[in-house]
Amino acid sequence: MNGAHDMGGVHGFGAVLPEPDEPVFHADWERRVHALVLAMGATGQWTLDAARFARENRPPADYLSKSYYQLWLAGLQQLLVECGLVAPAELAAGRSLRPAKPVRRTLAAGDATGLLQRGRPTNREAPRPARFKVGDRVRAKNMHPVTHTRLPRYVRGRTGTITRVHGCHVFPDSHAHGHGEDPQWLYTVAFPGRELWGAAADPTVTVSVDAFEPYLEPAP
Amino acid sequence: VLRDFGVELPADTEVRVWDSTAEVRYLVLPIRPAGTDGWGEAELARLVTRDAMIGVGLPKRPQDER
Repeated sequence: MNGAHDMGGVHGFGAVLPEPDEPVFHADWERRVHALVLAMGATGQWTLDAARFARENRPPADYLSKSYYQLWLAGLQQLLVECGLVAPAELAAGRSLRPAKPVRRTLAAGDATGLLQRGRPTNREAPRPARFKVGDRVRAKNMHPVTHTRLPRYVRGRTGTITRVHGCHVFPDSHAHGHGEDPQWLYTVAFPGRELWGAAADPTVTVSVDAFEPYLEPAP
Repeated sequence: VLRDFGVELPADTEVRVWDSTAEVRYLVLPIRPAGTDGWGEAELARLVTRDAMIGVGLPKRPQDER
C-alpha cells in the first residue's frame, strides 16, 4: 500500500537529531512491547510480513503520530483482534474478559535468546530459473497495490541495473495476506541518483534496493 | 542526512545508499583510519562506532581516543 511508512524522498520532517549514547529502550513499556511482539510472533499465529503490514496499514496521520514502539503495539493489537485472540472490548477494558484461546506454540523465556540468535532465514529453494542476471537493465514496475509490498514508491517506473542475485526468498506481498510463502527471485537493483531524483541530484549517488522479481520488467 | 550526523565528505566521494527492502541485511565495513598500521583486532574495534557500522559516520581516529 502507498502508506506513510514509505517516506523515501518525502520532505518536511526536518533534520535527523542524533541522540548521544542512545539507549536501546527509552522507557520500560518499550521493552515490554518488544517482548510482547516477539513472543506473539513466535506463536505462529501470523507471519512477519503480516505483522509489518499491520503496522503500516493505517491512515497517514495516525502512522506519523505514533513512535516506533507505539506502532509495534498498534500492529500487535490489530493482529490479536483479527485472530480472535483478544476482543475489542478487552482492549478497551485493559484486561481479559474471557478464558484465553489456545495458540499453536508458545515461547518460553529461556528459549528467547536462542530463537533470536538463530533468526528466521527467508531464502528458499528456487521453483523456477531466474528471469534476470547481474548486469541486466530492469525497470521497476509502476504498480500501486493496496495490499502489502516492499517496492518503494521512489523507484517505481525507474530504470536500474541488477547488481546481485540473492536466490529465492519468501515473497512478502503474498506472505502478508495468507497466500503462502510463494518464493520469488530477489535481486539488488542499483539506480543512479539522477534517475531517481533528477538532474539536481548528487552525481556520485547510487541507491540500491532489494527487489523481488514480480516487481521488475526488462528495461525498454 | 550525513550532515545531520556531522559528517562532511569530499564532493567527489561516491555515495552508495542501500535501502534494505527485503530480509537481507547489510553491515558497513568502516574505512580503516590512518595511523593504525599494525593494530590488532581489539585495538581497531575500539575505533568502531554504531554510526560507522550503519554508514552515517566515520570510525574514530587514533587521536580521538586520547
